[in-house]
Amino acid sequence: MRFKSMNRAFLAILGILVLLGCSPAALARPTIEELKARAVLDDYESNVVFGYNIVMQTNRYAGRYAGSALSCTSCHLKGGTQPDGFPLNVAGVYPKWRSKNGVRNGIGLRVRDCFLYSLNGVMPPEESAEVQAVAAYISYLSEGEVIGRPPKGWGVPTLPDTGADPNPPRGQAVYKRECVICHGADGEGSGPIPPVWGLNSYNAGAGLNNIQRLAGFIWANMPMGKERSLTHQEALDVAAFLNLQHRAFDPRDGRLKKLAERIYHRLSTITGKASP
Amino acid sequence: MSLLREALPDFSWWRSVDAQREAVAGFTGALLVVPQAITFAYLAGVAPEYGLYCAVFVGFLASFFGNSPMVGGPNTAVSILLGLTVLPFAGRGSPLYTEFVLVLSLMVGLIQIGIWLLRGAAVFRYFSPAAITGIKVGVGVWLITSALEGALGLSPLEAQFFYEKFYIVLFSWQDLVNPYAATISGVTIAAGLLLKRRWPRSYIIGAVLIGSLVGGLIYGLLGPVLSQLELLGHVTLQALPLNVPRLGPQHWLFLEQTVPHAIAIAVLGLAQSLVISRDLKASVVGNLDLHKEVFAQGISSALSPFFSTFAGSGSFNRTSVAVEMGAHTPLAGMIAAGAVVLIAWVLGPLLTWLPMPVIAGVMALVGIGMIQGNEIRPLQHRVEGAVFLITLLSVMFLGLEFGILVAVVASVGFFVVSVSRVKLSVSRDGDEERIIVTGNLFYASLDPLAKHLQSDPSARTVLDLRRVPYCDAAAQDMIKAIQAQRARHGGQLEIAPRA
Repeated sequence: MRFKSMNRAFLAILGILVLLGCSPAALARPTIEELKARAVLDDYESNVVFGYNIVMQTNRYAGRYAGSALSCTSCHLKGGTQPDGFPLNVAGVYPKWRSKNGVRNGIGLRVRDCFLYSLNGVMPPEESAEVQAVAAYISYLSEGEVIGRPPKGWGVPTLPDTGADPNPPRGQAVYKRECVICHGADGEGSGPIPPVWGLNSYNAGAGLNNIQRLAGFIWANMPMGKERSLTHQEALDVAAFLNLQHRAFDPRDGRLKKLAERIYHRLSTITGKASP
Repeated sequence: MSLLREALPDFSWWRSVDAQREAVAGFTGALLVVPQAITFAYLAGVAPEYGLYCAVFVGFLASFFGNSPMVGGPNTAVSILLGLTVLPFAGRGSPLYTEFVLVLSLMVGLIQIGIWLLRGAAVFRYFSPAAITGIKVGVGVWLITSALEGALGLSPLEAQFFYEKFYIVLFSWQDLVNPYAATISGVTIAAGLLLKRRWPRSYIIGAVLIGSLVGGLIYGLLGPVLSQLELLGHVTLQALPLNVPRLGPQHWLFLEQTVPHAIAIAVLGLAQSLVISRDLKASVVGNLDLHKEVFAQGISSALSPFFSTFAGSGSFNRTSVAVEMGAHTPLAGMIAAGAVVLIAWVLGPLLTWLPMPVIAGVMALVGIGMIQGNEIRPLQHRVEGAVFLITLLSVMFLGLEFGILVAVVASVGFFVVSVSRVKLSVSRDGDEERIIVTGNLFYASLDPLAKHLQSDPSARTVLDLRRVPYCDAAAQDMIKAIQAQRARHGGQLEIAPRA
């Protein structure tokens, strides 16, 4: 009798252990709020919290290298947790080769590129605390993902071919109808709402300065609260309109070189007009 | 009561102040400190803002509570030590790291105040100048090799000893060198060395300007992607960066483990400040109160975390500039602090584009200055030379902190050796020997005399002890024993009257 009850208790414990073992996702990472409430964090956890702070308020926590009014979360929506909104649970897909810089990119270089292009700032060094923290946060978000396989909702959806070219004037009309309430008539944004063009937005070298990608982002995530309400063609049109606006130039060109080229062009057009 | 007088700021210099001269001196010091502050913040591993705050607030407090024209603020060795101490506990530059640097500064300041309460200034008199020179030269070498890292893109983890860095650079420079960064650092260093002949004190400013100009040109033509240049980044300064240092369980654990390091930093900071004060006392200000300087150093370090910055110390090169420009009172230091605010505010936006290779160049120049600036005078004296060499070699091979320990031990050793040296002058008068002893006779200095007296037990000797200021029980016992020994062997030992 006694043996039997012990046996039953043993079985119960075994069952619980099996249940726990089968659901690793349920046991997985503590939330950022839980981490922040703890008195003592180990190095990885404190790095994750710092990375989260940088992602949410880049200008405050990584102001040394940020150059615009954007934060990481302006594009990596909800702190990089939104599928189809450039989610950040991508640690498993790096290192990988990217055509953008023509080298194999580790997660560090990938983050640094974001500072240089999308944030229009100064490229931080690989070993800087800011880069390390964002990398730690990306690892934290990637917990449970399969190494080497792109996560669900990676990047933004690629829109199907609409059969028509993107049309900036129609995009302007869509912008005035749908976007101007939040992003402003001059695309200046306000508070947490990011500027979408101008010197305070991403520069001409950023990944979003690509009509297809921007259209996918807009279609899947904008206007907030009415996601996926625009037609594919409307999203393409707005993207085309936005990318025609003035923004900081591509940092892959030197400023002085660009200036010299512009002066040369201006001079050659003047002389070209004068000669015939 | 006298403690209170030392702790309160003293403005008695106000009556005899030449405000214009002090202002000129202070402003020049401020121009010098801006590139140094950024470099030293990099050495401590914190954001450049902290270095500038250190120049402003630690500099001001040290002058406000002090009574000398010494210019305080960020200090090379102190910054390096702060960085090395915190590095094993948190990721360099992370918020936790910065918090640790701040609480460590608080502890350093409190230790310095403790040293003040124990009247520690007197102890630093025994700190040999040769040892300080050894530390400075060692730090100089350390700085030059660290500059190699910045200039050539060498990872700091690749080498443990400085000579390994040279080895790595020699055999794999093709993989390390970013030619643009190396060019900018090279130009900065070359410009500094050339300008040094014309302006031996303020050449660093010119070097930074020329280096930045070349850097700006390369960066402008090629852009950040092609040139792969590292820039300083935005320096966001607040007018009054008030801050309460966080003291959670983690911080207490950290403090508990770094007490010896904090003591080393406190001692090193005070030693440098007091060596400067000692020089000033000899040359510029006669009525300098060293205890007051210790307190000023302690309170400025202890208060530094409340102004979001780290501990500092007196600066050799900035003080000598200020004194050469005619500073006589603490007003120069206070004006320098104010001027840093002004300069940083004007330069702030430009600092963003300051290439890091220029900082590496400044590091190398400061290092070269630390090696060149010391006359190798101590080497002329054998014992002092030995203290210098021992300190230098330990700083270079065993690390800065251990080097400081060695410096203290070597200084004390030097002091003991010089105290326990006894001179014997032997003269013969017929078969009677006469020995004049000069120096302290105590347990440690007895040996030569005892050996001499024991060599011939049958001799007749007169011992002249009139030039012995101190003779301890061990010496008296020894003399009695030898007297007994001689009585047995037919010799004699008399002591000349201590008339």
